[in-house]
Amino acid sequence: MTKNPSYDHTIIPPCQAECPLHMDIREYVDLIAQGRVMEALQIIREGNPFPSICAYVCTHPCEDACRRGQVDNPIAIRALKKFAVKFGGDKMIRLEAETTHDEKVAIVGSGPAGLAAAYYLRKLGYPVSIFEAHSELGGMLRVGIPEYRLPREVLDIEVQRLIQMGAEIRTNSPVTSLNLLFDMKYKAIFVTVGAHQGLRLGIEGEESAGVVDGATFLREVNLGLKPPVGNRVGIVGGGNVAIDAARTSLRLGSREVKILYRRSREEMPADPNEIEQAIEEGVEILFLMAPIKIQSVNGQLDITCIRMEQEEPDASGRRRPAPVPGSEFHITLDDLITAIGQAPQVPKDFRLRIGRGSTIRVDPLTLTTNQKGIFAGGDAVTGPASVIQALATGKLAASRIDDYLRHRYPAISKEKRASMGDLLPRTIEMIRKFNRYEPPIRPSQERVKEFMPVELVYDWEGAVNEAKRCLHCGIGAEILSRDNCAACLTCLRICPYLAPFLDDRGEIQIAEDQCIACGICVTECPANAIAFRKPQEQRRVDEELEHVIESAAKSKSKPLIIGFCCQYGLYGTGALAGLWRETKAGIWIVPVLCIAKVESRHIVNAFKAGAEGVFIAGCDQQQCPRENTAFWTLQRMERSKKMLAQIGIEPERVQAFNLHASDKNLAEALDRFTQKIGELCLVSAFKKEMKK
Amino acid sequence: MIVAEQKSMEEIYRICSPYEKILILGCGTCVTVCDAGGEKEVSIIHSVLDAAQARTGDKPHIFSEYTVKRQCDIEFLEALKDKAGEIDAILSLGCGIGVQSLAEVFPDIPILPGVNTAFMGASREWGVWDERCVACGDCRLVDTGGICPITRCAKGILNGPCAGAKGGKCEANKEMDCAWVLIYQHLVHLGHLERMRQYYPPRNFHTILRPRRLIIKTEINPGGK
Repeated sequence: MTKNPSYDHTIIPPCQAECPLHMDIREYVDLIAQGRVMEALQIIREGNPFPSICAYVCTHPCEDACRRGQVDNPIAIRALKKFAVKFGGDKMIRLEAETTHDEKVAIVGSGPAGLAAAYYLRKLGYPVSIFEAHSELGGMLRVGIPEYRLPREVLDIEVQRLIQMGAEIRTNSPVTSLNLLFDMKYKAIFVTVGAHQGLRLGIEGEESAGVVDGATFLREVNLGLKPPVGNRVGIVGGGNVAIDAARTSLRLGSREVKILYRRSREEMPADPNEIEQAIEEGVEILFLMAPIKIQSVNGQLDITCIRMEQEEPDASGRRRPAPVPGSEFHITLDDLITAIGQAPQVPKDFRLRIGRGSTIRVDPLTLTTNQKGIFAGGDAVTGPASVIQALATGKLAASRIDDYLRHRYPAISKEKRASMGDLLPRTIEMIRKFNRYEPPIRPSQERVKEFMPVELVYDWEGAVNEAKRCLHCGIGAEILSRDNCAACLTCLRICPYLAPFLDDRGEIQIAEDQCIACGICVTECPANAIAFRKPQEQRRVDEELEHVIESAAKSKSKPLIIGFCCQYGLYGTGALAGLWRETKAGIWIVPVLCIAKVESRHIVNAFKAGAEGVFIAGCDQQQCPRENTAFWTLQRMERSKKMLAQIGIEPERVQAFNLHASDKNLAEALDRFTQKIGELCLVSAFKKEMKK
Repeated sequence: MIVAEQKSMEEIYRICSPYEKILILGCGTCVTVCDAGGEKEVSIIHSVLDAAQARTGDKPHIFSEYTVKRQCDIEFLEALKDKAGEIDAILSLGCGIGVQSLAEVFPDIPILPGVNTAFMGASREWGVWDERCVACGDCRLVDTGGICPITRCAKGILNGPCAGAKGGKCEANKEMDCAWVLIYQHLVHLGHLERMRQYYPPRNFHTILRPRRLIIKTEINPGGK
């Protein structure tokens, strides 16, 4: 059905540009908004080796870049991905890979970077072995991230898939020497050992019993070692590990959990959502405070703390905390967990050049180390970073290793950058505000009792409504045919967002970064000079109508009624399809992405193909995320009705339904419409007879 | 800008009915701007004619469509010459000027007008056009504050307002502003009310010969004598 587009003028949206994997977020969010969740999952899987993992733990830089954030709140992209993964049936997907090369590749470490590298190397056809020191794969995904954030079942499924793809897994196999791997006939090695070594506070008494670093604590919990925790636990630090340690302590039974952080909440690097949830669960966060001394007294820890104050921002814009002299005070704890950062611990025998913060030094473009055939990436190179960054590094490593093994000069791809400006205040003013719809979360009293996932998955309606909020950055309208343009100013006058403007030379332009692809100008342009940047968008209605006409001709159902129905919102989810079936006549649906794209021509063509009635059904003006769509559709419909009346087609044969998908009367209204059409058919047949 | 209005589909269908192969021809300039005969309207009319034919079951007409940049200039019509052999008639959605140019270029093909050329005017908002000039050939706008009484006064009087102006509206159409009240207000605003105090003698329409022709070129004698 889809013809090859002859052009593609789409602009990379900010979400995609910011995603380290450059996933086609705009596309899959749009598919979710149409209820096409399996196709959404397909798009997700094309860009991400382990979407189910990202669905739980991604730090979603895409959401930070999302331009909807300039209007109200960004799209909940990660939660939508989770919905697609669950409802699209990701669990059932099986993957296979063929071995087409002889060169074996060893991957040292099975964190997200290692797993991603293995995934892509398998896809490229290389035999791959993953060496993991622990008993199970996953690296930080397994030993760092608590189970309530990433259910182990999810990780296990991805690992299983990797095994299906033919990756060799060697657990309990700490690698001590890389040369040994070369002796084992591995031709390339990817070192991705992570950053598991907790940094030290460097204060007196840090060696006391009851003081442990966050990474070690989480590792012990996650490997099922059940470390004993007391009732009163303190955590030092403000990152995600600190929050994870605090919430884990609560789940292990601690009653009082305090986080000591030396800066204020604004500077806290942990995910704001996580901070919020931790506070809900009862974690107390003491800001502007730092421990300076630890004393072990009768099995308890006496912590001397000092208050901090923030200095004026320095050249880098960061405010340095400084102790307030004489503000010392004491707190008593059973355990203290230090979570102020981690560093890699790369075995000396690897003979890799080590740089700042004990990280491995690599060429950032090729990931090569100081030794031939050895590549490195992940936290071991960058220091603690996000899962999505690690996945991107793993993907890059796979293609660089491929280049190396195939003796190719590495093709450095250009970084994908969004060239879209911010929304103007006047555009923002016109964009309908719809608050972000968060997925449900388990109540805090319930969730601290166990390690069950905190965040639940959207239901169908929630996901669709959230996805509908997308502004479709970069696929809006453009004046494609300058030669056709009659400079009539229709677009300038009718755009609800004032995106078209006259430039210095008096030529009409459409500001691509202010257009949200509502399509009104495309359908209204009298010269057919405006098109969507994505050509498929343009042809969709014609193609679908053609398709419907063909199928209807085969089925010979009478009377034929053609309905143009918006696929966004709940219209696309099948809820409506059920309603059509309930109605009695032969109703055929032409799916459209917003009724604003239905042109007069389409309505008339339906009659040309023998339809006895035509209707348009879309969200009502309150539900449609775009402005004025119903108004313009009705304008065109009225004109078509007038012209049709002049050739003897009764205006009653064309009707619009602006409905809520939940409208119970919809089937009834449709029945009335089909009944009316039936009557009209009888009358016109009678008239024909009379003429004879 | 020339403003035109589509004829009713009933009339269009009727004038097309004697012919078999009909080219629906749009014009990419004025009638595109006034939504009467641009590329989009061509395709809509094409669809409506097809639909009409499908319903009546008449002998088949074959409609095709095309749009040129400007029908009034015959150079733009050159592109149609290849098609001329295959068509029995042209339904022109251009203004009366376009129709006549077509008739001149294609003397063997009947040209059917699809629109009524209405007036010269402008649009202030989408979907609304107002007449602004009647091309009288004797512009007096300098004395009337940039508001044309010949066009915008229902009576076209030169010394207004008449006694029919009530509350700034015209007696002929209560929705319409009285052009002379507008002229008065604007001249007050400009401080040129004296222009309205002078009397304008009746114009002599006999001096205008129709059809008019405008020549700006000068006869040059290449011999130089």
